[in-house]
Amino acid sequence: MSQPGQDAKFFQRGKIEEFRAELLAAETKDKKFVKRKTVLKKIVANITMGMDMSPLFPDVVQCLGTPLLEIKKMVYLFLVSYGRSKPDQIHLVIPNFLQDCNDRNPLIRALAIRTMSYIPIPVVTEALSDNLRHALKDRDPYVRKTAAICVAKLYSADPRKAERGGFVELLRDLMLDSNATVVANAVAALSEIGDRQDGVIFKLNLATANKLLAAIPESSEWGQIYILDSLLRYVPERHTDAEMMAERIIVQLQHGNSAVILTTIKALLYLMNYMENRQLIDYICKKMGPPLVTLLSSGPEVQYVALRNILLIIQRRPTVLKNDVRVFFCKYNDPIYIKLAKLEIMYRLARAENAKEVLAELQEYASEVDLDFVRKAVRSIGRLAIKVEAAADDCIQALLDLIETKVTYVVQEAVIVIKDIFRRYPGKYEGIIPNLCENLDALDEPEAKASMVWILGQYANIIDNADELLDDLCYTFLEESTEVQLALLTAVVKLFVYKSKVDKAKELVHKVLKWTTEEADNPDLRDRGFMYWRMLAINPTVAGEIVLSEKPPITTDSDRMDRGALDQLLLHTGTLGSIYHKNPETFIRNAAGKALKDSPALNAHSRAVLIPLARTQLPSMGPIVVAGPGPTEPQAQSSPVAPLPPAKTDVDTSALPTQSSQLISPTQDDVANDQDETEEDDEPPHSRQASNLDPYSNLDNAFGGYLADEPRPMASRQHDDDDDLLF
Amino acid sequence: MALDGIIILDHYGRPIIQSGFRSSTTAYSILHIDAVNNALQKAERSADVDSVIYVPPLNTANGSSACCHVEVGDLRFLCPVSGDVDPLLAFAFLQTFIDILREYLGTVSAATLRDNFDIVYQLFEETLDSGGHPLTTYSNALRDIVIPPSLLNKLLSVTGTNFNSTINSGFGAGAAVGPFSSPLPWRKTGVRYNNNEIYFDIIEQLKAIVNKNGTVVSSHVHGKIEANAKLSGTPDCSLNFTNPQVLDDCALHPCVRLHRWNRDKMLSFVPPDGRFTLMDYTFSSNPLPSPSPTQQSLTSVMSSRSNLTIPFIIKAIVELEDSGGSFDVTLTSRYSTHALENIVADIHLGPGAGGIRCNVSRGSGGGGFINAGGSRNLDTSGASSGASWSFDAQRTVLRWEIPIVSPSSSWSLHGSFSTGTRAPRPSHAIRVRFDISSHTYSALKVGQLKVTNAKENYKPYKGVRGRSSGEVEWRW
Repeated sequence: MSQPGQDAKFFQRGKIEEFRAELLAAETKDKKFVKRKTVLKKIVANITMGMDMSPLFPDVVQCLGTPLLEIKKMVYLFLVSYGRSKPDQIHLVIPNFLQDCNDRNPLIRALAIRTMSYIPIPVVTEALSDNLRHALKDRDPYVRKTAAICVAKLYSADPRKAERGGFVELLRDLMLDSNATVVANAVAALSEIGDRQDGVIFKLNLATANKLLAAIPESSEWGQIYILDSLLRYVPERHTDAEMMAERIIVQLQHGNSAVILTTIKALLYLMNYMENRQLIDYICKKMGPPLVTLLSSGPEVQYVALRNILLIIQRRPTVLKNDVRVFFCKYNDPIYIKLAKLEIMYRLARAENAKEVLAELQEYASEVDLDFVRKAVRSIGRLAIKVEAAADDCIQALLDLIETKVTYVVQEAVIVIKDIFRRYPGKYEGIIPNLCENLDALDEPEAKASMVWILGQYANIIDNADELLDDLCYTFLEESTEVQLALLTAVVKLFVYKSKVDKAKELVHKVLKWTTEEADNPDLRDRGFMYWRMLAINPTVAGEIVLSEKPPITTDSDRMDRGALDQLLLHTGTLGSIYHKNPETFIRNAAGKALKDSPALNAHSRAVLIPLARTQLPSMGPIVVAGPGPTEPQAQSSPVAPLPPAKTDVDTSALPTQSSQLISPTQDDVANDQDETEEDDEPPHSRQASNLDPYSNLDNAFGGYLADEPRPMASRQHDDDDDLLF
Repeated sequence: MALDGIIILDHYGRPIIQSGFRSSTTAYSILHIDAVNNALQKAERSADVDSVIYVPPLNTANGSSACCHVEVGDLRFLCPVSGDVDPLLAFAFLQTFIDILREYLGTVSAATLRDNFDIVYQLFEETLDSGGHPLTTYSNALRDIVIPPSLLNKLLSVTGTNFNSTINSGFGAGAAVGPFSSPLPWRKTGVRYNNNEIYFDIIEQLKAIVNKNGTVVSSHVHGKIEANAKLSGTPDCSLNFTNPQVLDDCALHPCVRLHRWNRDKMLSFVPPDGRFTLMDYTFSSNPLPSPSPTQQSLTSVMSSRSNLTIPFIIKAIVELEDSGGSFDVTLTSRYSTHALENIVADIHLGPGAGGIRCNVSRGSGGGGFINAGGSRNLDTSGASSGASWSFDAQRTVLRWEIPIVSPSSSWSLHGSFSTGTRAPRPSHAIRVRFDISSHTYSALKVGQLKVTNAKENYKPYKGVRGRSSGEVEWRW
């Protein structure tokens, strides 16, 4: 490990005894303390390498009296590393600490305070308390700012003691300090305390919040971040308060530091929940776009964080970056995680106006080298077709072109999405089925195969040779994966219902039912086999009606995150939670959750979907309610006795215009004001109730899965008039 | 909001130095180092590793955490974070820390870090508090507390070993010249220069994607103004532009007075001492009417990013066969006054590619003259004038390099490759990087720079330069 150089020689592994002897020797005839410095340097170098130097504790501590800052620093470094583990010897150092706390050099005063706060041993904490109180009122700002942070340390060592000592109040006073750095550090310390689950609650009132804002221009970028972040602890009581505050911080979007920009955006998004001035909200949304785009010209690390956050922001505030889809076009040498994040955003930003551009890009990606990316690109073409009706024709054509390429993985992905497109636009594209049938042999993945089988069964009436094709597919029935077996079973039943006169169909359904009930190991498959068998035996006509019942058209609408959960996640903009799209308290220990706080200024829709803070310490209460709209394929066919879609009750009232269901909302006036806020706001609160119980139900695979939003059946008729409200 | 510390790994993934992880167990940093190394091992390209790695807890008693990491030269900087931290804070802090290291050590490498580990340690201590709060990161203020090695050595040579006492007494002498006495966190007091000078570099980078029909699919010009100020006292600078309307989405150094900028488009600031980035901006080629910070007019803000002319045209004919392909690529400069320099065109030929046969040549056009305005004298004679190609077999990237493309000249590369038994699957794009000196896309012009100084009266030397670079993905 040794390298030529000035100090590299210190990295040679030394023996404790040797050092001890050297330190001893250094006590005499050490001109200008050069010897001591050399030994201490060696010791520190060894700490770096992970050697345990703690046996030297008494010897090193001896050097603390040396009147040399450099040596003092190294001894303090040693203390910080081993102080905690020497509760029996630490009292040796206390006098030195006390002396240094009163040194005339502010650097040494601060160093002493800081080091003491790192050693959470009662004797030290005791000694710290008094000195810290003085340090918080020190005339030197460097000492004050250091002391502010030390309060947070003292608090984590013994919260109640720190409270009794009045330190929280002292910190509060520091928020009004004349030095901006001190203010920022006081805010940082209070935030740290406030984030603890056992900490005092840190809230800001209007006056303090305004004082903090005044300190922003003189703060360092880190200080600005603390202050901007603390604004989330201020709950505006009036619309105008929120609006004025937003106007004051919006200039920070011009800051050069990316973290400042994102924190500003977080604060703005938060304040917007309490605003009513539509023009101002629109203005802020437009102002947020360019800085987000600027973040994308940074390194891939920053880009990644920015992209994940953009994905959240545009779901809540669709006008942000509305016209900037081009910024998210992928380059072939972008890292894969950037490409996938961009792809998702491109899909979200796609609408009728830019669908052509987006589609052309997606087609481009479908010929890329990276398999995973190609698949997702093909899938996105299908999702685009489902989302933007105007682009469906072009998308289908693009998919057909891709199928023409005969590249197996492309064909398979295409088949999977085409199945969904058939369901979204019934009776429109069935003409392309022959093209699909030509590629039957290319399908070897279960999902693609099952999709193709579904198509064959569903449209057996218009595919002349459906019986032959299904018969071919059934040759390997027993070797197939369960997914394909289930699909085949349902498909042959459909075939039989369509063509009950044809011998081949009879023969086939009989064969498959026999296999599933007698030879299949999978209980689901067997049960389903029995069920079909009975249905067909008891009343074939009714069975036919059930099996071929009209399916609810699907939409990609449900892929949007629940509004309440989204509001909550956006409070964590820029943080780990927003990267993983999970609330931090669900995966970080001791993280305090955040929730929007109700106030007279909170807009009605945010209030309606308000999610109270989950108590993570408690085991989850009550039965788990599975949120979700209707049953999904293929269960939709297989379980005709399944409960009606939960939204069924809404269907009955669907004769009323959507607005009418909002009459139950207590603040109808606000609702009207909020009309065009985001389209999502139009959704009546009560239809969300099921998901309110389990706000994270749709975040399950947020960690791994990136396509968290498979097309699903439309939740209810209600959506018909506000179909895909996102744009 | 807390960063747990910094770990610096060498080229082999071994830790060189790390800040003390005081609020966590010793296994914590090892856990993160392992997580990063594992992820790097698994990935095909190191660039494909997520920049924020999720680190599962060692046991149930600990919470999970995440590790943000950046690669710098042959080093990798890790910043483990636990709790709900803004990863951008980690990245911004890492970047700042790396910049500070550069300033202190010149180059940042495994060797310089080991040589100066005590400095690095002190920097850890001063820049990042153990609770994870970034502290002092303005190098002007830092230099007061942590003495840069060069200065240390200088003092050492001048005064023998007696330097420490001077420093100590310096602190004791009074708060007037002590650290943090300056009212401006980014500038220390009492700076003196014999020659006062301030330089600005306007640097713009174009990023664009062009589709196979030659239409620009997306383009973005990101610019920044880097400054180097060597001015005595507390100078107050004001800088204005003759065409500020080309600037969009400006991000400014904290020293710039925002309200002046928003009101008059005037950069008014007290500069830090030394190098700093004064502003970042986006070039909007479609200037708006006055962007009044209130009402409507904003719909145009977003759509204004219209496309810019790419400085060259590429014609690529690629024919793919069963086990290889041939290509014929021509690059023609569109500029009539400026030369493109250091052109590097990368063509990713896909897995299994090899057996490259290539020929580079200089086509017609352009001739030997340089039109007026191009002040440099370029030697453009000679058949290929330095153009060359190379092939990176591991990444299967064919690289075509042309040192200088003089105005309106055209260059070509043609050849073939084989992919053995596999079907060729090249990326359908050519990535071209280039530089243009003394040129900016935006043609941003500094109108006037005034330096006023209350106490001292001097006339500083002022200089402004422009330079551009670009990265274009041209699809075929």
